[in-house]
Amino acid sequence: MEEKERPVVEMEHITKIFPGVVALDDVSFELRKGEVMALLGENGAGKSTLVKILSGVYTKDEGTIKIDGVDVGDVTPQSARKHGIAIIHQELNMCRHLSVAENIFLGRELSKHGILSSKEMEKEAERILSSLKIDISPSTIVGDLPVSKQQMVEIAKALSTNARILIMDEPTSALSDKEINELFRIIRDLKEHGHSIIYISHRLEELKHIVDRVTIMRDGHFITRADFSSLSMDQIISYMVGREIKEKFPHVETPVGETVFSVKNLNAGKMVRNVSFDVRKGEILGIAGLMGAGRTETTRAIFGVDPKEGGNIHLDGKEIVIRRPKDAIKAGVVLVPEDRKKDGLCTKLSIRENIALPNLDMLSDKASVIHSRKEHKMVGDAISSLSVKLSSAEANAASLSGGNQQKIVVGKWLARRSRVVIFDEPTRGIDVAAKVEIYNLMNRLKENGIAVVFVSSELPEILGMADRIAVMCDGEIKGFLQRGEATQEKIMALATQFEKKIVEVEL
Amino acid sequence: MNGNVKNNPLKKVLQIRGMGQVLTVTVGLIILCIVFGIINPTFFSFRNINNLLRQIAPILLIGIGQSYVLITGNIDLSIGSVVGMSTMISATLMTHGMNPWLSVIITLICCIAVGLANGLLVAGCKLPPFIATLGTMTIARGIAQIANGNYNTDSIGAAAEGFRNFFYYGRFLGIFSTVWIAIVLWVIFNFILSRTRTGRHIYAVGSNPDAAKLSGVSILGTTTKVYVVASICSCIVGLTQCASAGMGAMDAGNSYELYAVAASVIGGVSTLGGQGILLGTVIGAAIWGVLQNGLQFAGAPVAIRNIVIGVIVVLSVLLDVVVRGGKKIKIQKNK
Ligand SMILES: Nc1ncnc2c1ncn2[C@@H]1O[C@H](COP(=O)(O)OP(=O)(O)OP(=O)(O)O)[C@@H](O)[C@H]1O
Ligand SMILES: [Mg+2]
Repeated sequence: MEEKERPVVEMEHITKIFPGVVALDDVSFELRKGEVMALLGENGAGKSTLVKILSGVYTKDEGTIKIDGVDVGDVTPQSARKHGIAIIHQELNMCRHLSVAENIFLGRELSKHGILSSKEMEKEAERILSSLKIDISPSTIVGDLPVSKQQMVEIAKALSTNARILIMDEPTSALSDKEINELFRIIRDLKEHGHSIIYISHRLEELKHIVDRVTIMRDGHFITRADFSSLSMDQIISYMVGREIKEKFPHVETPVGETVFSVKNLNAGKMVRNVSFDVRKGEILGIAGLMGAGRTETTRAIFGVDPKEGGNIHLDGKEIVIRRPKDAIKAGVVLVPEDRKKDGLCTKLSIRENIALPNLDMLSDKASVIHSRKEHKMVGDAISSLSVKLSSAEANAASLSGGNQQKIVVGKWLARRSRVVIFDEPTRGIDVAAKVEIYNLMNRLKENGIAVVFVSSELPEILGMADRIAVMCDGEIKGFLQRGEATQEKIMALATQFEKKIVEVEL
Repeated sequence: MNGNVKNNPLKKVLQIRGMGQVLTVTVGLIILCIVFGIINPTFFSFRNINNLLRQIAPILLIGIGQSYVLITGNIDLSIGSVVGMSTMISATLMTHGMNPWLSVIITLICCIAVGLANGLLVAGCKLPPFIATLGTMTIARGIAQIANGNYNTDSIGAAAEGFRNFFYYGRFLGIFSTVWIAIVLWVIFNFILSRTRTGRHIYAVGSNPDAAKLSGVSILGTTTKVYVVASICSCIVGLTQCASAGMGAMDAGNSYELYAVAASVIGGVSTLGGQGILLGTVIGAAIWGVLQNGLQFAGAPVAIRNIVIGVIVVLSVLLDVVVRGGKKIKIQKNK
């Protein structure tokens, strides 16, 4: 057998059962030396579970794992490290209060005579970061970095262990295009050097840049394994979801009516400067821009999470004052936030409690006693309208797969009769089929005369779904584009109109 | 009703979060009772059970308060001092001839003020709860001391007979009034926690304050409410102690905040927030009371009692960790 073809990892007949769910059922998986293997499947298919078994986070119930042809029994986090396996988890796993260097060396700190060598660690971290062209100081506190930079630190951390088997579980979902390109360069480089990579992603269009082979799973089952070049994108999708998806961006035309929601001269800190826009009845306003352009900050300021310094907001022609999220919700303005782990979910509470949380005012009587039957009905409706895959609504929100958690974050706002719904990256980490469900849902809102604001970093979906696009850069709206005239190039031109030559890392 | 009441009732009960831990410690409680019953047959006499309940009641009350606070992910160290403050203020007022019920109202207001201060310091000024309530704990103890010029009070006198009966000596259906007070308050607070909006907000704040805020929950309001509940519970316990002794003692309620943590934690309330039910606190308080009472009966000295109870606290939390199947214990980092 040729050296290149030699499998470094072979997993056979892997079964894993969680209370109430068979996450993996007789799954097999193979990874060769020096290849990038994409692991694809719908939300809840079991991708994360499979790689967590390989990296020792979970133990398998049945099956065998061979590394370099040797049966290694159960993998533990320690033995994974010994075998040279490193994983970048789907959710960020970092100590927010520690510095970048401290996080990179967490658990394998350098020391001399029992005393930490902070200097050396910072220097080494600096070297790793610059070799990856990541422009962050190693002494920055991780919690102060934007999510995309945190993700890059996570990647740097995994690479710094010199692993020969690298697992990336949706590494790009929080990255900007520039950082993604950087990551791809790193991946190709690693491949050259004989490292093997397992790559999980729902952004199918990026696969062509790096992937050699694909493994497709559905509902905990192994479906197929093939060379990437031998499959068309439509074939991959139909293997993943078990049916064909006709339209990836089901845009509908609705007559545009009067202005529903308007923001005038909104100011809030450095990242939101003089932002003004209107959303009219029957349209979806897309907000495009690069990471760090101030889009999320704008939505947070509107919703009253962060304080405003000036500007006014009108809803249906009347001025409304939003000081706290509660005011916004009362007025009928809701926000589906970007960072699900931090802002979207109470992971220790059940799925039911999470969906009900913002809607308790509708579910309880005057004495604020919660009406349990109403609650169950609302939760049931929300779950079925987004086809969330779960064992029971009473399970902890933490037990859901990443994409299904995102569906809960979206779903909890839909039971309300709102006037304005602001989506901040609603399809992040969601599979193709579920994306279409969310798009359809936005269409339904729009057809019901609700103003929809749709923030996204993925140009294809903004171009595909929005009726009008506002492009932000440096905390300002640089221009609006109509659906017909917008192209990727025009958006990028507006999105890169920086005033200052040097883009500071925002703190 | 239509026929789609899901599952059978037993399954439904088991589904309630935290029920698993409650059931395991209930088994522990039953075993303890049996052991003490064998060692000393009078353990199960009506008289002893009645006394036992009266011992459990104050622990349950402060346990309710502490559980509320713990579920929001905070802690209240001022509980014991507020008990002392309540005893001293009410007793002082009564020895000065004030109408007992008016004294009760004034005492309640003073104690609630401490709860409000705790809530504002923790959620308004964002002080770490440990520090903020350490401060109010010291202040409240100080107030207890100056209430009567650094002396315990004299007897609250015959005029307070009604007060003493209401809070301690009276009986209804043969059971002491303290026990009834604890039962009534438990029912009310359990209802609030499990069935109302406020209750749901308490869990949400404890589980993820950021997400709760973005869902329209007021962090300041919710946090203040739980501290006020804790102060009300402590106030009531202080009043029962005043009624029981017929006077005010400055060191009343010493270390009660920790007993309250113990009762909560034995009953499965997580100190990391977001988890626990008040049924557990009942069992936790009962285990506490049964151990005190049973060991006393068995002739064990106080020192031994302390050691046993300390061991039980650690064991019950350990048990919970083991039962939940190797879930790693995480140390919460407060932002
Ligand atoms: N700790 C857990 N406890 C209970 N169930 C779990 C747990 N982890 C995962 N599951 C379940 O196992 C199934 C597979 O989940 P997994 O996270 O592997 O999906 P995934 O393919 O990574 O999905 P996504 O694309 O959404 O990230 C899901 O149904 C999920 O609810
Ligand atoms: Mg996953």
